[in-house]
Amino acid sequence: MISRLRALWNNVFRREQLDRELDEELQAYLELASAEKMREGVSPEEAYRDARRDTGGVEQVKESVRDVRAGVWLDRLVQDLRYGVRTLAKNPAFTLIAIATLALGIGANTAMFNLLDQVVLRLLPVRDPERVVIVRETGNHYGNGYGPNTISWPMFEDLRDNNQVFSEMFCRFPATITISGGDRAAQIPAELVSGSYFPILGVGAALGRTIAPDDDAVPDSRPVVVLSYSFWRSYFDGDRSIVGRTINLNSYAMTVIGVAQPGFDGVELGVPAKVFVPIMMKTEMTPHSDGLKDRRRRLSWVTAYGRLKPGVSMEQAQLSLQPLMHSILEMEVQQPEFTRSATPADREPFLRNRVELLPGSENDLREDMRRPIWLLVALTGAVLLLACANLANLLLARATARERELAVRLAIGAGRARIVRQLLTESLLLSAAGAVVGLALAFLVDRILLRIYLPADAASEFVVSPIPDGRVLAFVVGAMLLTSVVFGLLPALRGSRTEITLSLKDRSGTLSASGISLRRMLVGVQVALSLLLLVGAGLFVRTLRNLDSLGPGFPTDHLLTFRINPSLNGYSDEQTKSFYQRLNVKLQTIPGVASVGFSSMPLLKGYAWQNAVLGKDFEGAPIEEQPVLSEIGPDYFATLGIPIVAGRAFTAQDVGPAKYAVINESFARQYLPGGNPIGQRFGLVDDMEPVSPDIEVIGVIPDRKYRDLRETPPAQAYFPYLEGVHFRFMNIYLRTQVDPRQIENELRERMRQFDPHVPVVELQTVNEQIGLSLRTERLVASLSAVFGGLATLLAVIGLYGVTAYAVMRRTREIGIRMALGAVPGDVIAMVMREVLILIGAGLATGFLLALALANLVRSQLFGLNPRDPLTFVGSAIVLTVAAGLAGLIPALRASSLAATTALRHE
Amino acid sequence: MPAPQSDLLQGTLDLLILKALALQELHGMGVSRRIAQITVGTFDVKAGSLFPALHRMEQAGWLTSAWGESETNRRAKFYALTKAGRKQLRTESERWERISLAMATALRTT
Repeated sequence: MISRLRALWNNVFRREQLDRELDEELQAYLELASAEKMREGVSPEEAYRDARRDTGGVEQVKESVRDVRAGVWLDRLVQDLRYGVRTLAKNPAFTLIAIATLALGIGANTAMFNLLDQVVLRLLPVRDPERVVIVRETGNHYGNGYGPNTISWPMFEDLRDNNQVFSEMFCRFPATITISGGDRAAQIPAELVSGSYFPILGVGAALGRTIAPDDDAVPDSRPVVVLSYSFWRSYFDGDRSIVGRTINLNSYAMTVIGVAQPGFDGVELGVPAKVFVPIMMKTEMTPHSDGLKDRRRRLSWVTAYGRLKPGVSMEQAQLSLQPLMHSILEMEVQQPEFTRSATPADREPFLRNRVELLPGSENDLREDMRRPIWLLVALTGAVLLLACANLANLLLARATARERELAVRLAIGAGRARIVRQLLTESLLLSAAGAVVGLALAFLVDRILLRIYLPADAASEFVVSPIPDGRVLAFVVGAMLLTSVVFGLLPALRGSRTEITLSLKDRSGTLSASGISLRRMLVGVQVALSLLLLVGAGLFVRTLRNLDSLGPGFPTDHLLTFRINPSLNGYSDEQTKSFYQRLNVKLQTIPGVASVGFSSMPLLKGYAWQNAVLGKDFEGAPIEEQPVLSEIGPDYFATLGIPIVAGRAFTAQDVGPAKYAVINESFARQYLPGGNPIGQRFGLVDDMEPVSPDIEVIGVIPDRKYRDLRETPPAQAYFPYLEGVHFRFMNIYLRTQVDPRQIENELRERMRQFDPHVPVVELQTVNEQIGLSLRTERLVASLSAVFGGLATLLAVIGLYGVTAYAVMRRTREIGIRMALGAVPGDVIAMVMREVLILIGAGLATGFLLALALANLVRSQLFGLNPRDPLTFVGSAIVLTVAAGLAGLIPALRASSLAATTALRHE
Repeated sequence: MPAPQSDLLQGTLDLLILKALALQELHGMGVSRRIAQITVGTFDVKAGSLFPALHRMEQAGWLTSAWGESETNRRAKFYALTKAGRKQLRTESERWERISLAMATALRTT
């Protein structure tokens, strides 16, 4: 054992001395052997030569002695690496191109995989996250709701108290609240959580304690709060004495009882909660709506979670919950709340609603990003494949050029396995360098992508970190090994098959032919993949252009918007209304502001307040057909540049007790058909009490978009904001005479002077807001365009290389043809025929692939068919022209050869 | 290129080398000569097999080597058995005798 270790040590660190000793030992052997022969009467020279021959080659003997040395593999590896580095350094252009190609391929893939992992795949950072599920109700809820994954508080209680499949259930509600103290105020995301939240998730406290079931037993009873670890560090500088102190949330004094464990930011990945409050404090935290104490069943607002009992699968649980859900629905359908919100025809579909379980990590952000990110992962995968094909091609070309070198090495005694290993070491070196550069690239790319993807105020401390973790690194290493084997093995195997005698003898230009068909195939694959990526790029870029050219139907230049929520500052309704009136006057005095409009609902943000309406001749409607409503200030339409087509807009005098509305043309057509809508009346269905049509139409506006740019304008009705029910939030729109960004700072300063306790939220131009709403489409379009261009470039380089090589191989043949009377045109035609066949084969394959895959991207497109002929044909033309030109260069060169030169070509 | 070696099992070569070194230390050529001598010329061990075997056995701790002077007054590397080498020689000899006895019996059986 010890002797082996010593041998290993010597072999690794005293190689040169060992080699010298081996030389000397063999020299002595040779001399002794020849001395023996000389004694038999052979001449000295002959004796020495015989002795050498008898050994079977001195170098071979040395090589086989080295082979038995301990740690020979290490020795070989170092040798291979050294040799590899030297070979690569000798050819810097090749090496740089190879590393850059790989870095792009690996970098793009790592960036995308990292994003996929963190945004789509990752589970909650809690105990046994795969056992935590969301419980939701499918189908139409016939009421108001906070999104598809929410249910009403009473339904949560029913499920919690009567199910057999969960060890326990909890629920949560995300809210934006104002934290104030001293001279600072900020709006922060908070989670209102049931008492079972922390215990079920298994999340502990870094400091103090978490919210316990006792804290959440009686409404309004326990004003306590738990801080998230990162918020405690950033907002309170990690002050350990914070526990037991009170802080103001919505101007309500709350006692800090603890800080949650590090890394836990709530259960909605992407929207990190800063504070956790018992859900029984709902009234204080969300003064604008209740749902808890009034026990409304037609208001769905909590997200319900359950921890599956051991041994119960998600499918079993879903099946077993269904009868319970059905009995709840049977009960709800009898309630006046339901009959007021829905028509008799709605009962049947409502009773068909089902319970559905989702992974606990599911949320809206994930839902929205899943398809685009998978799409980008697929695109980058294709790019990596292309990069591999390109490198394989490069290495094949190099292996051909190195045939003589390899033949020499084989002749002087290198084993074929050794040659394969050497070539693989080189490709591994390349891919390792590519991976390192790619990883750095991915880091940068992810930082940029996260900034694009996330709301500006969340991006800075978002929990999705751009630093890859172990899984991502494993992915990179995997990708690296895979690529180096894929692009390295083929050339290596071919290289090792080199026929020594052939290659050494063969000094002429007739380079070996067997590599060329393989290289052609690789180029064909590249053309096919490029077409695929170009078609994708075309589809996504045109989708973006279609969306960009849509516009909401009113001018968006010089339009600035922000949001405020004075009620979160503890203002009463009367104080809030007075605040708005004074603010309205104040904003108009800012230089450069032309007009100011207030609206309780934001425009083009995907939200809508929808409600069933009733009138003389109509009653209720399923939610898809319910009109979209908002409450607005007097100058709202003037500010947005929406004309009044009949009647008038609101004035400051339109205050109770009479109720007025301005409607759009769709509303008039749908609900008040025939005759003049002005003066007609309708009412808003209320699930809490019966209503009569008591709202009078005073004006009509044309149809304009409301929720997003993709929609056809829905039926809309507007009410005066100070008379409404949603006035506690307000979105403010400013039409400016100057570039709106010049006013932003002035505006912030004035708002701070006006009331330092009401923070300005999401101050941006409407154009910026629209740009943000298209960020996913823009990202997909720009990345796919970059990938498409890159792919085309790689394919063109590949095609050029293989054509130039083919022409070189056929130089003599071309010379003979020209000597026999072929004109340059014939030579060009001859070369180009092969080029076009290659392109044609690639295009055909690419077309088939693209047609087969087109349907997968249908949902990501807008305003065009996934098999859009223009895009397909356009991509094919671009690719054909680019690749054709690449083939034309060697063709022209071949045609300009003088016959004599070509024939003499060796 | 050398003619194909007579089928020398690795164990056989090792045993022959151990045996050749049992009496005295020898250099590479000496080992080769001694093997030819004790096998009455049946085995002619070429350098291509001899030196890898010597180095391998040295690393296994059966041999030790030292530089000395050859009969032609040249510096040469001499190999000698270690304690482990002698033990190996004993066990290998016993094993070999068992095998050759068994083989001889088997082949004589009709």
